[in-house]
Amino acid sequence: VIRRLLHGTSDSLTARTALASVALVVVVGAVAVGLLSAVFAARTAAHKEAEAQALTSATLEVQGLVVDLENSLRGLALSGDEHFVTPWKQARKELDTKLPAFVTLASKVPGERARALDVQDQVHSYITDYAAPLVRSARTEPEAVSTPVATTVGNDWVNAIKSLFAAMLTREQRSANEAAAHANMDSRRAIAVAIAGLVALAAIVALFGVYVARSVARPVRQVADEAQRLAAGEEVTQLRERGSGEVADLTRAFNSMARQLESRQHELEEQNRQLRDSEHAKSELVSIVSHELRTPLTSMLGFTSLLARGDQDEEAQARYLEIIASQGQRLATLLDDFLSVQQLEEGRLELRTEWLNLVPLLRQQAELYSAHSDGHEIVVELDGGTLPVRGDEGRLAQVIGNLLSNAIKYSPDGGRVTLSGLHDGARVLVRVRDEGIGIPDEEQEKLFTKFFRGDAAARGIAGSGLGLAFARAVVEAHEGTIGFTSTEGSGTTFEVDLPAAGAAQTPAQAKTERSSA
Amino acid sequence: VGSTASRSYTPRILVCDDEDSLRELIRAVLGDGYAYIEARDGDEAVAILGTEEAPDVVLLDLMLPRISGVDVLAMLRSDARLNGVPVIVVSAWAHLEKEALEAGADRFVSKPFDPDDLVAVVDGLLAR
Repeated sequence: VIRRLLHGTSDSLTARTALASVALVVVVGAVAVGLLSAVFAARTAAHKEAEAQALTSATLEVQGLVVDLENSLRGLALSGDEHFVTPWKQARKELDTKLPAFVTLASKVPGERARALDVQDQVHSYITDYAAPLVRSARTEPEAVSTPVATTVGNDWVNAIKSLFAAMLTREQRSANEAAAHANMDSRRAIAVAIAGLVALAAIVALFGVYVARSVARPVRQVADEAQRLAAGEEVTQLRERGSGEVADLTRAFNSMARQLESRQHELEEQNRQLRDSEHAKSELVSIVSHELRTPLTSMLGFTSLLARGDQDEEAQARYLEIIASQGQRLATLLDDFLSVQQLEEGRLELRTEWLNLVPLLRQQAELYSAHSDGHEIVVELDGGTLPVRGDEGRLAQVIGNLLSNAIKYSPDGGRVTLSGLHDGARVLVRVRDEGIGIPDEEQEKLFTKFFRGDAAARGIAGSGLGLAFARAVVEAHEGTIGFTSTEGSGTTFEVDLPAAGAAQTPAQAKTERSSA
Repeated sequence: VGSTASRSYTPRILVCDDEDSLRELIRAVLGDGYAYIEARDGDEAVAILGTEEAPDVVLLDLMLPRISGVDVLAMLRSDARLNGVPVIVVSAWAHLEKEALEAGADRFVSKPFDPDDLVAVVDGLLAR
């Protein structure tokens, strides 16, 4: 687990906190174990010292009693005075309890039990083999015991016992000293372990505190500040991703949130702008349409109310009716064209996508418009090949018709109108060239705008101002483009550029296509 | 219409509108008691005003090609000779009435108009 904490996810804050906690537990545990063992050792050493001291005092006591025995015995032997028997008896009686107690104490010290038993045996044999018979015979034949030999023997015996005591006392003293030194050392060790442990704990806690402050508190503060700024609607900068694990994740998440918010904001602003633009365009369109409807309506209503009075001659009446009819027709055309353009622009007008050769279409339109106008010569220029496109024959015919109609209308003095078709690789180009009045520079930009007619009305040129808007919508729906070049006073050339369709299909294929379209 | 017939002087009216049918309608509504001068765009109107004798009243559309009706009006009002000529703005842009009056128009008639109203407005201005 620790290896995984150290290596696998060592970058995560959780792991680091866990690691720090584990380190704390280990250090606290080690300190506790060290302290406890030192305290136990000190206690054991103190106990040993106390035992050694108890044994020493017991030894001295027993030794004192033995000396008392010998002194009273010697007094008795030398003086024959019965008074000396009482302390002798007293000492003997005390020895009966003190000696076993001494042996018991000595048994607790390793190696001393044997020596204590030896001392006990020596004391017993001194009493039974020498002292007791001497006391008995002192009463019966005092002269016999008052010999120097007897006292010397007793003295030697007691001295031998005393030397045993001396050896024991020396060892006990050494052992007590050693135990005291151990106890001292162990308590110093306990203090050292406690101090070292406390220092280590303080260091770990301080280090962890610094770590938390640096890699948690500061980055979190930074994120909080930026979040506040964000909430206040201020511009937010991207934060540096510092800190580790979860904190870096938080910063990253905040950055990505701020970025998202910013881009949403921009998106919304852009959408708002588009909405405003489109709303503006719509209201402009509504007012243009209402103006365009009002103009023919004004004529129709005005002439109708004049007719209602009935005070005109027949000729005037016929003239007024003619105007009313033509203005009504104008209104109807206007509405049709307008709806077609709207539907095309909104993609609601469905166009056929059948394979077509534009050559016959161009010829038909040229014929149709030639019949309309006597003053214009319509010339068709083709290279003899096909003009293959995919599209809606009827709508494309309308586009060519509109262009031819414009070419005628804007060439009031007559002249030549050239309709040409060209298959150029991937493109099919249709051009309508006239030698008419041309388009003034300032009008060129607005030419495809709905209802824009320049000064056509002033020139007496009829139209709804929707023909070119319709043409462009149809051509663009065919993924083509429409453009023009014009010089005021010398004529205009419109060019329709459509993507060429593949090779001509077999009639069967074409038929299938047509029926499914 | 009848009242104008008795006048010995025939008032001259400048009709500025790019729509043929509207100029014809105005002529038909106002009748034969006036002399009509017609302009099909702002250019023509300015040319006529600059060269001919000042008309007695001007009927002015605002949406004129080349030079707009508003500009024609401004030109009229800044010219000492033409400053007093009454101007009736006849426009389909009903919301422009305030602007037209502020620019110096005497009356505003919105399209479509009632023929009697137009007659009354013209007579009213000529009677001043």
